[in-house]
Amino acid sequence: MKSIRKIDAIPKLNGSWKFLDDYSYEEMIHGQLLYSTCHHGFIKKIAFPDGYNLSEFTMVSAKDIPGENIVPEPECDQPFMAEKEVFHFGQVIMGIAHPDRKLLREFISNTKIEYEELSAIIDIKECLENQKNAFGRELTIDHRTGKKPDPNWIHHHKIYYTPHQEQAYLEPQGMIAVWQPEDKIMFVRATCQCPFFVKEGVETIMSDTIKEAVIETSEGIGGAFGGKEDFPSLLAGITSLLSYKSGKPVKIVLEREDDIQITTKRHPARIEINSWTDPETKKIMKIDIDYRLDAGAYQTLSPVVLARGVLHAISGYCIPDAFIRGRLFRSNTPSNGAFRGFGAPQAFAAMEAHIDDIAANLKVNPYEFRKINIFKSGDEFPTTQPILEDHLSDCLECVIEKSNYLNKLKEFKEWNKTHKDKKGIGISIGYHGGGYTGNGEKVLNSEVKVVIKKDATVMIFVANTDMGQGAHTTLAQMFFEAIDHPREKCLVQLPNTSKTPNSGPTVASRTIYIIGNLLRKFAFKIKDELGFENLEDYVASNQNEFPREFRMNFVQDPSVVFDDENYVGVAYKDYSWAACVTEIYYHADTYQIELTKNWSVMDIGKVVNQKIATGQAEGGVLQGLAYGLCEFFYKPGYGRMHGFTDYALPTTMDIPEINIEFIHTDTPIAKGLGEIPMDFPAPSVRNAFHNATGVFIDEIPLIPERILGSIKNLELGI
Amino acid sequence: MKVSFKLNNKNVTINTDPMRRLLDILREDFNLLGTKESCGEGECGACTVLLDGKPVTSCLVNAVHIDGKEVMTPEGIAQEPLGKLLIDCFDETNAVQCGFCFPGFLVTSYHYLKTDGEKNLNKIKKALSGNICRCTGYQKIFESVMLACERN
Repeated sequence: MKSIRKIDAIPKLNGSWKFLDDYSYEEMIHGQLLYSTCHHGFIKKIAFPDGYNLSEFTMVSAKDIPGENIVPEPECDQPFMAEKEVFHFGQVIMGIAHPDRKLLREFISNTKIEYEELSAIIDIKECLENQKNAFGRELTIDHRTGKKPDPNWIHHHKIYYTPHQEQAYLEPQGMIAVWQPEDKIMFVRATCQCPFFVKEGVETIMSDTIKEAVIETSEGIGGAFGGKEDFPSLLAGITSLLSYKSGKPVKIVLEREDDIQITTKRHPARIEINSWTDPETKKIMKIDIDYRLDAGAYQTLSPVVLARGVLHAISGYCIPDAFIRGRLFRSNTPSNGAFRGFGAPQAFAAMEAHIDDIAANLKVNPYEFRKINIFKSGDEFPTTQPILEDHLSDCLECVIEKSNYLNKLKEFKEWNKTHKDKKGIGISIGYHGGGYTGNGEKVLNSEVKVVIKKDATVMIFVANTDMGQGAHTTLAQMFFEAIDHPREKCLVQLPNTSKTPNSGPTVASRTIYIIGNLLRKFAFKIKDELGFENLEDYVASNQNEFPREFRMNFVQDPSVVFDDENYVGVAYKDYSWAACVTEIYYHADTYQIELTKNWSVMDIGKVVNQKIATGQAEGGVLQGLAYGLCEFFYKPGYGRMHGFTDYALPTTMDIPEINIEFIHTDTPIAKGLGEIPMDFPAPSVRNAFHNATGVFIDEIPLIPERILGSIKNLELGI
Repeated sequence: MKVSFKLNNKNVTINTDPMRRLLDILREDFNLLGTKESCGEGECGACTVLLDGKPVTSCLVNAVHIDGKEVMTPEGIAQEPLGKLLIDCFDETNAVQCGFCFPGFLVTSYHYLKTDGEKNLNKIKKALSGNICRCTGYQKIFESVMLACERN
């Protein structure tokens, strides 16, 4: 629980820590992407503007690709660059480079592409309502009993919608490729989450024209939140090709407008729920969930998002008869991808809304109804995975008490009787399985490396990046605390694929949970192997043994057995659990919701660094609240957003007081923290709005326009 | 056009296109990389610097606007006693996450400490409202600035 300071805070503050755009190389030129402005069509002609000397430019398109024109992904269906046909707005057609960044920008914005336009689906509802748009593998979790619902049970049917969400990392996507012809190495400097994914991307596009791609991250990775999981592979491929063709180092840093328009977002979802509740016992007896995601034009990593979505779809309730069906839908928009939560925030937004809908109908308060239905040890997930602990229920009890929920319910009810503005309070719960789904961690077989030098410095080599979550501070802390080694003598090295073993991507809340716990075990193992009490003393008296390298692989717990075909078994070894209460103040004249307070209680197991964990949780909770309150990326009749001017990110003036508490921390295992804070808060805003006004809105975010529409409909009796 | 200005307490003169962005001048001509470009349209505050003592987004300031004026960047502020105090407070609370927005927050917080400095959450929120942070949820940023106000 020691809150040691971060290794990188001071250099980040005084500006000396280098982010991608802060690196330069001799003779470096600048690149940009020329992308489709047509949603679907054939490319007829590309007309470059007059008055430029074309010989100064380096240009690459699909026909220049020596290797394969397919970005390596869980589903390999997206090309690096379009060939004849474009399938979405923002599809890359060419990479273009020039020594002058500003001139290049002008050149690209004056380049005109002519298309033969074809029919396209760009509207989210048009995509998700039409079952003909479904593509890829359908996932089902079948935990049905085969019995018909009892006629006394109350049937509820609702459809919930969630929007795109933009990661809005402050540092835009960027890449530098440096072709080294003498040893046939393509060196790539990347701001990314997954250096080994980038390596595979570059080696796929370059094929045997290069011997190897070596990826090293920039010192600073200015935020990612999932947005730098797969797009960097595409960007690195094109940057490398430009460097290969020009023979010069090439840097591409996306302009914000390009970044926001063409990169991956959180998948919009349509989640339809049918449930049957016993009015006597107030227990949900049967549920049917139809979970649909708008994947965009290609599947890419959407099948994995879908998997996590269906595995979290039922939220935290024990429902004896359950059927969950998950499908991807195709549209002519850029592929949606990873964003903190990875399918789970959509699932909780729907199910936690549905729970309040049923509770209101049965006239039970939302807390009592959750308490009756929440799963406990001895129950099981719809996949049959047994529930082994009551920690979710403990989170709920703790947050109800901390927020004084029950008293506030009464207090607000009284206050609202005499005021036009309204006060409201809402609950939501959630959880997140740590690490890759099912057999994923077994397949990844992550490896870590440690080198102990003659001065007893421990150098830790892992492929996991520090994109702001403090991973490199916390990972080192897990190692040196285990063997009581001085902090300044234990450092995580900058990830570089030629020096760092593949310890997997920085995704899936797995960095501390999988790699950190592995490093802790590794420290104990080295201690046992060498038989020391104090590492510094040991190294001092056994100098001839050092420097020495040690390696260790992650071994999955044998209890994790998952049937990927039928979605039966243990999907995740450990879950992080959470519950929150959000208070709002509704301004009736402006239809605006003001968030006033949020209490979030989480079980993330052992808390390695209290301040780092709290900070990360606070940031995640705000992203979650904003998902419910104000963030959306597409508006019918307007289209996609263009930057931070029309995409509404919360500022210091929009935020509530956020209170984080971690419970059940007295355990050796640190569980996943990255995603859980984002998973659960959004529906608490919607539920608090219902508490304040008696109006349910089934589509987030709860922007004033939507509230105005719903209230008007209500007044008109629609 | 010839532009002379005071940069981090030193007099400098450059020859440049009058419409060139201050952000580019700082990064390209002076290698002052602490000033970051994030949105490029004055919304996010990552490129905030002080112009004659007032916080401005340097992506919206052109060369022509800085002639004869005084510019302070995060690098310059980091050398000032109040800048050092703020850095220590941001470090102590582990407020810094990805860090891309923090040089901008340093500049704006420094301006608040210089011009007001009252340990008052509402005032601090208002003072920092031009800077966007996506990682922290702002709580630890407020905590740090409150701490700096207390220690100043």
